[in-house]
Order: sequence, then structure tokens, then C-alpha cells
Amino acid sequence: MKRISLLLATACMLTLGSCEDDLDQTPLSNGSVPAFFKTAVDFEQAMNAVYSQLRGYPDRVLILSDLRSDNFYGVSSQGVRDWDAINNFNTTLSVSPYMSDTWASDFGAIFRANTMLDQLKANGSVVSEGLRLRYEGEARFLRAFHYFDLVRMFGRVPVIDKALLPQEVAKIPRGSVEEVYNLIIGDLEYAKDNLPLNYTGANVGRVTSGAAKGLLALVYLTRSGPTYGIDGPGLASNENNKALALLNEVIDSKRYSLVSSYANVFSYTNENNSEVLFDVQYIVGNGATHPGVMVPDNYFTSLQIPFGSRGIEIKPVSNDFLSILAANDDRRAASVQTGYLVANVAENRTVLKKYISAAGRGTGNTDWPINFIVMRYADILLMKAEAILRGGGGTQADALKAVNEVRTRAKQPALTSLTMAQLLDERRREFLGEGLRWHDLVRSGTVLTTMNAWIAKEDASGKMRRNIGANDIIYAVPLNELSATPGLYDQNPGY
Amino acid sequence: MDNINPNDIESIQVLKDAAAAAIYGSRAANGVVLITTKKGKSGKPQITFNSYVGVSQAAKKLDVLSAEEWAERAAEIINDNWVRSGPGRTASQTTAERQAILKVNNIVPAQMIDERWFQPGHPGLQYIDWQDEAFRTGRTQSYQVGASGATDNVNYFISGNYTDQQGMMVGLGYKRYSARANVEVKASNKLRFGLNVTPTYSVTNDPGIEGKDNRLHQLVSMAPIVEDTAGVASGYGKNEVYRWGVSTASPVRVMENAIGETKTFRTLSTLYAEYEVISGLRLRSSINFDNNDVTSKSYNPAVRDLPTSQASGSYSGFRRQTFVNENTATYTRVFGEKHDLTALAGYAYNISRIDNVRLGATGGFVNNQVTTLNAATNINGTGSNNTTESQNVLISYFGRLQYSYAGKYLLSTSIRRDGSSRFGGQNQFGVFPAASVGWRISQEEFMKNITPLSDLKLRASIGLSGNNSIGDYNSIATLGIYNYTFGGALATGQAPNRVENPELQWERNRTIDFGVDVGFFQNRIFGSFDYYTKTSKDLLLNVPINTASGFGNNLVNIGEVENRGWEVELTTNNLNNALEWTTSLNFSHNQNEVKHLGPGDATIEVASVADLPSNVLQVGKPMYSIFVIRQNGILSQADIDNGAALYNNQTAGDPRYEDANGDGKIDANDRVIVGQPNPKYTWGITNTFKYKGFDLSFLVQGQNGGYIYSMFGRAIDRTSVGYQENALGRSRDRWRSEEDPGDGVKGKATARFGFIKNTDWLYSSDYYRVRNITLGYDLGRIISKSVMQGARVYVTAENFFGKDKYYGGFNPDAVNTDNGSTFTSGVDYGGLPLAKSLVLGLNVTF
Repeated sequence: MKRISLLLATACMLTLGSCEDDLDQTPLSNGSVPAFFKTAVDFEQAMNAVYSQLRGYPDRVLILSDLRSDNFYGVSSQGVRDWDAINNFNTTLSVSPYMSDTWASDFGAIFRANTMLDQLKANGSVVSEGLRLRYEGEARFLRAFHYFDLVRMFGRVPVIDKALLPQEVAKIPRGSVEEVYNLIIGDLEYAKDNLPLNYTGANVGRVTSGAAKGLLALVYLTRSGPTYGIDGPGLASNENNKALALLNEVIDSKRYSLVSSYANVFSYTNENNSEVLFDVQYIVGNGATHPGVMVPDNYFTSLQIPFGSRGIEIKPVSNDFLSILAANDDRRAASVQTGYLVANVAENRTVLKKYISAAGRGTGNTDWPINFIVMRYADILLMKAEAILRGGGGTQADALKAVNEVRTRAKQPALTSLTMAQLLDERRREFLGEGLRWHDLVRSGTVLTTMNAWIAKEDASGKMRRNIGANDIIYAVPLNELSATPGLYDQNPGY
Repeated sequence: MDNINPNDIESIQVLKDAAAAAIYGSRAANGVVLITTKKGKSGKPQITFNSYVGVSQAAKKLDVLSAEEWAERAAEIINDNWVRSGPGRTASQTTAERQAILKVNNIVPAQMIDERWFQPGHPGLQYIDWQDEAFRTGRTQSYQVGASGATDNVNYFISGNYTDQQGMMVGLGYKRYSARANVEVKASNKLRFGLNVTPTYSVTNDPGIEGKDNRLHQLVSMAPIVEDTAGVASGYGKNEVYRWGVSTASPVRVMENAIGETKTFRTLSTLYAEYEVISGLRLRSSINFDNNDVTSKSYNPAVRDLPTSQASGSYSGFRRQTFVNENTATYTRVFGEKHDLTALAGYAYNISRIDNVRLGATGGFVNNQVTTLNAATNINGTGSNNTTESQNVLISYFGRLQYSYAGKYLLSTSIRRDGSSRFGGQNQFGVFPAASVGWRISQEEFMKNITPLSDLKLRASIGLSGNNSIGDYNSIATLGIYNYTFGGALATGQAPNRVENPELQWERNRTIDFGVDVGFFQNRIFGSFDYYTKTSKDLLLNVPINTASGFGNNLVNIGEVENRGWEVELTTNNLNNALEWTTSLNFSHNQNEVKHLGPGDATIEVASVADLPSNVLQVGKPMYSIFVIRQNGILSQADIDNGAALYNNQTAGDPRYEDANGDGKIDANDRVIVGQPNPKYTWGITNTFKYKGFDLSFLVQGQNGGYIYSMFGRAIDRTSVGYQENALGRSRDRWRSEEDPGDGVKGKATARFGFIKNTDWLYSSDYYRVRNITLGYDLGRIISKSVMQGARVYVTAENFFGKDKYYGGFNPDAVNTDNGSTFTSGVDYGGLPLAKSLVLGLNVTF
């Protein structure tokens, strides 16, 4: 019996001594930060994760720029949808999930880019010199891209250029629009000088110097837009000449050209084509959701696509948009479907079909293997015409040449003269469903007159707010950001 | 609890006393329930047989509009749509006239009613009560056989059980097979060892009833009218959905055909040895192993006979294993006859591990005969097909000293040191002492003469305990996988998905309890009263943070919350003659208050599953106070003309909201605290009567003072429920015009202003319920002891009577959705009603 008591006692003693080490557990199904950024592969993965944050961008910009504008008439007929508030110019947008998602997603990407930049500085020696410069260029491009999204959506936002702890971030208020732009311009200047012209193989889709120049040109055009008396993206800075110089550099690089057929720009079998400067990339198994955003479920049914669209209800293309798009315009057939039949019930309204290919679909409605083009060569050409018309240099003939190149591709007669209004219409026809329209209107200075006239004409439901004002040009700061640290941020006027 | 067969339970003991609970460590932060299972008793072996059969039904059905009422409401909305859609359009225009105006020959449901609604006998249409179609009478049966006994050296209890419950809704079911063996061997006068093993296998069937957009939700929301060619199968198989209804396939057909089967095989095993070294000193070592294997399979066949409608399925499961080794030394000794001393020292090692697996497939199966994933046409991408593993370790050292003097003065102190792997390096260990004193006054000489008083005891205790109920690796900055795509190929990405927090430490709870136990007339009246305060500090809260940090929330130790309250328990033996009557009553009150929060005590808004936050943590208020806009009537045109604050484009007949901040408009800044989620009072009364072998008992239970902010109520009764859905019965009394304003609470059906979280979905959680009525008869009175030692037959009715105020949901106690997962406050999103059941049972002992 003595032996048994001894045995029990020994067992206790043994476990007593050795087991406290077991309190140091490491995650079994996740990596951890302390063990990361040790190898070149770690840095590549960290870089990819910054890009990964782009994946939500297309869906958001379709709602926040296209649906918000006169391109779509997004009034729900069943219940109340999250996007109604965007379409209807509600002043209670601070609680919209689109606001919180945009703010958090952009800042999430900025955090990852900042982490990447900090780590490159601290531990980047494991990466080759050339790659280090490229990674820095990529991270700074992406940081600038997300800050540019933020400044266009919200105006003033906190300016953070390194990875910080939550308690540090809780002390940084919204910076001025100028400060945001300073960071953006500095980053894009660096990116355009250090990024390669192009990539091959499994690197295609990374950002290039051409993309950086194109984006920087858009930044200058945006800054040159009117201020409307708000802390918005326009500074009336008259930097159209800087934009024109960059756009000419892109054109003169001869790296880009228009794809011969408009429909082919968005073809599932013609991705990464000569027109693409920057896109968000998707494949089967890691696919996109944007093809379904504007589309009702039953349109998919009519195409024999075996899943819903996620768009649920139709967000029809506006009558006003259709009125400026000629029947023989190639962009009509490629962009919109007017009416369709499902289960013998006719839907008479028009849907955006630009990104939908029943044959090219992936495994489900969150898995479309089609890239979302953020910036393409047609935009470069039309921005060039815009920079010229707005006094950035160049000649009317240069502007006409650029616009007519785009029109000719769409099988439309060449113009012989060009006004800003015509140019804006051309952009509208060319870029339906590409997330540009609202920003184009804001930059042009016509957003309030255009939208108020359109709402009065188009809105039969009476659900949209009449007489929108300058405060509606930028969105509301999300409520969850205001309440996370009370008093840190102020709300934009009008919300 | 699910795993324990009620017939195997010897006793259930609830430890509320801080010191008594303290020895159970971090798991005891919210109190301890000790369940002791049966052991064999010496004497003749006993064979027991217990069985019951019963039926059950839903205790509650929601009041929704009837088909006629729905049609009237739908017509009101559709005609309003039509009138607004252009000049010259009137509600009296027929469908043909509307088609002519629109120059179409098809039906536009949003602008044209189904004219059959108002034709006699509504030709071609069938009116359906969807709840009646899905609720049914379930059947339950249970059988248990047990054997127990003891010899000089061995005592044993073994039992086997089979239970089959067919649920009260189509598709719901539960089957359980369980067994238990408790065997203890007395190897010598000093050594005992034993093994308790409890394997349980159960199969649960649930075709997706509860939760957002699941069947129960759809049953309430489905339009009660369908084409008579489709009937209950509307929108299913070959049938189109009803044109004026939601595009939902028949929930009844889906429930009948979908598979949602969860199989659980769980085995609890305990092996222990106890050795008495010298008289009074016992060593005990035990190993507990809890192995829980759960697999779930789902299969949802295509709802429509169309190529675009495809089956989907999934297979998921987990294995959770908890291993505990506990070693204790106990020394008990009585000195000088009156000093009774017990000392205990111990050590426990606890490791818990969970392995998860998940596979899913959408996009069709070869056919409905094969429902396993090998027949799926494609298996989803790596995002949803994965395995994960996680484990944590808890190490505890503890000691306890109990002393009593002549049974009058009682003293107990304990201390434990717990280390958890969930916390950061320097903060893994926490020390938690506790102490209690008791004075049994009735044992004092001077009390001996006060005869009515049979027992009087004063108690006081204070104890600290720790809480570590957070994720396994929450103090570590982990990486998430965030892939991207380049050049048509997947590019692996990783980035931090959690803020590093090495400071994370134990949440500390301090409980102070004062109590008195008092008995009169040989304890025929026995009562106890407790007053307690429980203060929780360094709460483990996943607080929302500014996303400019890269993260939406951060788990930190923050703040302080106090619970204060009292509890009364009273048992009276009212009659003690041929008729025995015993009443026992408990009544408790709890008051909860947030004392401190983070920097500056700033209010924390708790993220919600849907739109803006509706719960807050605010200093001076109960935890998770409900924080929404208050409705105070219906807007009249006069209100609007007088500049009433409006939410978006509200018009007359819409709800009128309180402009709490007085800024002239209604928005999220007008939210105010309107109630607390936890009840202030809970109570229960049991009356038991016994007369000549009959026994009868009633258990009535209730609660008061709490509120439910219901996501389900919001889903089915939101301000602008369209005509396609059914609406709650309360919309009968809605505002229809200034002349017909209804009950002044429910706004008009044609609301167009959207919706914002307001008191419309706030419900009192008060209820009372007759939980249980049991009538039994002791058959032993008519059956000879030579045939059986004892027998009882009984009939029980559960949940037959009661009343609650939760008209926006089925069960005021239901919590089935976490509130955005960052806080522990749950909400109801379509939880099932309670079952009312009638059971006939038999217990026999041979």
C-alpha cells in the first residue's frame, strides 16, 4: 500500500514541475506576427495581403459612385434595402453599412500597407534590393489609392503613415484634405518612379508606373475641381497641366491601346488586355461579386444561371442614361439588357450586364472569375481631353483626337467640336458601371444641377430627396467611428 | 446537462456561496451546479425501470394577419403605389384599366392587385395558415433500465436509456441512446478506486428552423395566399411563387425535404483512486476525460424543378477533448471533541482541445438519391473547406481550510492560483482567495429554550474568482490568410488579424454574500435570505475601436460592473396530516450597474447583427442597456406642419419619434436608454400535495422587469413591411387615415421612410408560466412488495398555461443569435416556441 501512495505522490510531483511550460501555447491554425517578416516569402505574402483588401472595392464603388449618380435608379420595390439610403440621398447615412465598410476597408488596406512599409524598413534586408524598391512602390501606390478613395468619399480623414496601436490611433483626429493629398501625391510620385512598366506571368496585375501616373493624373484633375464650399475632394487648385503631362507620358509610353471592340474590353477571355492600367483581379475559387450588384436574381434565372445575383432586386439603368446612348452604339449592346422574360413574366426595365457571362461564371454568385477594371486607356484618353478643355494646355484638336478615338471604337461618328458637357456624356456612355460617374460629376462642377434635374425627372416613387446640396457631395462619417472614440472625429455637415 | 440522463441523478446542489464555489476555480465565476450521479447502495440489488410517453405541441403561435386581412393591406399598398406613379391614376381603376394606361398586357404586381382577392370564393386561390401547416403534434418516448447494488467490496450503478423525441415542427427530431456505469472497488481498508463511464450517442434533426431567413421566419412572413394549383407547395418543385408574395419557396416543403442531421457521440469518463495514508489523511487522484465527437450533415435539395435550381450540402464537425487530472490531499481531524478541522491541498491540470472540419458544396448534386458530398458537382473553394485546431491549458493550485467548533462556529478559507494559456506571458496566473464564516446561533445554550425556533444560522462570505472565457489565442497578434490573384493564379497573402495584447489578464469577480437561514417548528417553516454583491473588474470585452488602426475591435480588460441583489427561499410544510401540503418559494432580485469603462469612462456602443447598435455599456446603467429611438405616437399632418422632427421623408401616419437631442431631426443621435435586457425579478413557486399515495405538484415560474430588443420582431414587424410579406396581427389597428388612426401605435402600411431602430421592437420580457403540473400515484399501495419494491405512475403537463408580452417572437427566453459576435449579449432571431407537453410515465423498482 505504501507503494501506491508513493506512486500517486510521484505522479503529482512530476506533473507539478513540468506542466507550467504548457501555458505557452502558440496558435495551431494561424501564423503569428512575431514569427513573420523573417523571409522573402513572408514579405511577398504580406504584399499580396495588401492587394487582397482591394477585393471589396468594386461592389462598394458601384453603389457609392454609380448608383448614387444619375446612371441608375436604385429605388427598392420590396422593403427597404441598405442601398436605398445611398440612392435616395438620406441624411442618416452615418449608419449605412456602406459607410462603415468603406472607411474600415480603406483603412484596413492602409494599415497593411503601413505594416509592410515599416517592416521593409526594419527587416527588409531579407528581400533583394530591386524587390524592396518595388514592394515599397506597390505598398505606397495602394496606400495612395485607398486614401484617394477616402478623400473622395469622406473629405477629411486621419492621416496615418505608419502602423500604430489602437490607443495611438485614438489620439489622431481627422487631418485636412490638403494633408491627405500630400500623402497621396508623395506616394504616387514615389510609385511612378520606382514601379516597373509591366509584369509577366504570375505577377501580372501588380501595379505599374503607368497605373501610378494615371492615378496621379486623376488626383490632379480631382484637386482642380471646384470646392463647392465644402471640405471635399475639390480644391480648385488648377493643376490640369500636371495631369496633362502625366497623361501624355502614359500615352507616349505606347504600352497601352484601345481594344478593337468595346465588348472585348470586359471579355472573360481577354483579361489583362492592352487597355488595362489597373484592375482588381479575380479567378474561379477566389472570384468576384460585382457582376451581380446591380442585377436582380431573376435576371440570372433568365440566363439559366443556377444561383441568385446577390443584388436581389433590380437596380435599373436610368431612363435618362438610356436616352443618351444610341441604339447603334456598340456600348449599348455590351453594357445593358433592355427587358427580359422569366417564367413568362416580363421585366421591362434595363439591367447592367457588362460583367455577366453565363458561360464564364464560376461556382456561385460570389465567384465570378472576371477582373474589375479600375482604370483603363479610354479613361486616359478622355482625361486628356478633360485636362485640355479645363485649360491644362494642349489644343482642341488634341482633345478631339482623344475623344474621337474612343467614339470611333464604339462605332459613333467623330465629333468636330467638343464641350465639357459633351465630354461628360461621352465618359458616361463609356464607363457605365465602372464606378466613375459620381466622381466625374463632382469634378466637373455640375453634380448638383445635374442630379437635381435628374431626380425631379426620374423619381416617380417620391422616395428620393429633392434639392440635394453641397453637403451631399461627400458622405457621412460612419457612426461606429464617431462612437468608438467619442469626440475624436467630427461629423460632416449635413449628416 | 443535455448529456445527463435525469434518472441517473442522485442530487443537484447549487453553490452560491462565494467561498464554497471558489474551490472550483475559473469555471465557477457564475456559480456552481454540482450534479451527483447515483451509486449503488448496499443491500439487495435494485432493478429500476423508468418510462414515459408523451405528446408535445408549440406553446405559442404568433398572431399574423389572416388571408383576408393580408389582401386588404396589400391592396392598400399596391393602390397607393399606383396612385403615386403618375397623374390621373386612381385606386378605383381596374387591372385592365391600369394595363391600358401603362400600355402593357402583363401584370405588374407592385401596381396591380390580384382581383381574385375580392371575388366571392376567391377563385383559383388558396388561403393558408403557414404556421398551422408546419407545427404538428410531436411524440416522445423514453425507456430506462438501471441496476444498482453493493457488496462489501464493490458498489455499482449501471443504466441504459433510449429517448426518442419527434419535434413539434415538421423535420425536428431528437434521439438519444445513453448508458452509464459507476463502479467503485474497495481494494482494502485504505484504498478505493473507481471508474465512471457515460457514453451518449444522439442524433438531432433540424432542417434549418431557427434564425434569420430560416423556416420559422419564413412561416411568419409568407403571404397567406397562394395559387390553388400550388397550395402548400407554392414556389416549390414545378410551382412558381405566388406573384404577390415573397420569392420564397414553400418553407413547409423545404422543411420536409432538407436534411440537417447532427450526430453527437460523447463519452465522459472518470477514473479515480483514493488512499488513506494515515487515519484522517486521504490522497485522491482523478483523471477526467471528456471526448465529444460531433458531425453535422446538411443537404438542401433543389427547391425548383429547373436547371437553375441546384442542391447544396455540407459536412462539418468537431472533436472536443478535455482532459483533467486533479490530485488532492485531504486531512480531517477532530481535536478535543469540539474542534473539527479539514485541510485540503490540490493541484489540477486541464487541457482542452478542439479540432474542427468543414466541407461544403453548392452547385448541384448528381441527384437527390445521394446526399453525401462525393455526389456534389463541385466542392467550394478553400475558403469554406478547411480544418482548424485550437487548444488551451489551465493549471491550478489550490488549498482550503475548514474549521468548526462544536458545530456552532464555522470558518472556511481557500486560495487558488490559476494559470491560463489564454493570457499574455506575465499575466497567465491569477490568485483568488476566499473566506466564509458561519454562526449557528440555534446551537447556543441561550437559544435552546426558544422552542418555536428550530434552526438559525448566520453566514457571511467573500470570494474572488477569475474568468478566462475568451478565445484560445486572444493575446497573440495572429495572422489571417488574405489571398489575392495575379495573372490568373492564386497569390497567397497573410496579414495581422488581431491586435497584439500581451497585457491581457484574468477578469476578476469579487462576490460578497450575507445570509441567514432560519427554521421554525422543527423546520416546518424554513427560510433563507441572502444579500450579495458581485463586482467584476477588468472585464474581458472586445471593444469597438477606430478602424484607422486596421482593426474594428480589440479585446481588452476594461471597466467594472456590479451586480447587487437578494434572494429569498422559503419552504413551508402547510399540512402534515393524511393530506400533506408543502410550498416552496424562491424570489430573487438583481440589479446590474456598469461602474467604470475605458479611458474617460466613454460609453461603448455594442455592434449589432443588423444596422445601428441598439445596446450600450454606459456608466451608471445596467450592462447592455437597450439604446434606441423612442416612438411616442403617430405623426399627424398637424405635427408635421408644426415642424415635428422627422426621420428621412416621413409623412402623416408614420410613427412619431422623440427628438431626444432636440436638433429638429430624427437620427441615430436620438437614441436613448429604454430598458435593460435582464429581468429585475425572477421567482418560482412549487406546491406539492400528497394524499393516500397520490401526489400532485405545481411549478409556477416567472420574471419581471426586463426587456427584449428583438431582431425577430424587427424582421417581421419593421416599419415598411411590403405587401409581399405577412404582417403581425397588431397591424390590424394601424393608422389608415387621420379619420381612422387605429390604436395610435402602429403607423400606416404605406410607410416610405425606411426604418430605424426604435421602441417598436422593444418587448417586455415579463412572463409567468405554469411550467409543470404533475399528478402521480404510488402503485406500491396496491402491488405486493414481493412483486416489486416500488412503483409510481404519473402524468405531467408542461407549459400548458402562462402569459408573456412578447408579441414579436415565440419565446421570451430565446437567444439564438450572437450580437455581432464581439460581445456576449445575444438576441432572438426567430427562436422556437416552448413545447407544451403531456407525458404519462411509469417508474418501477424491483
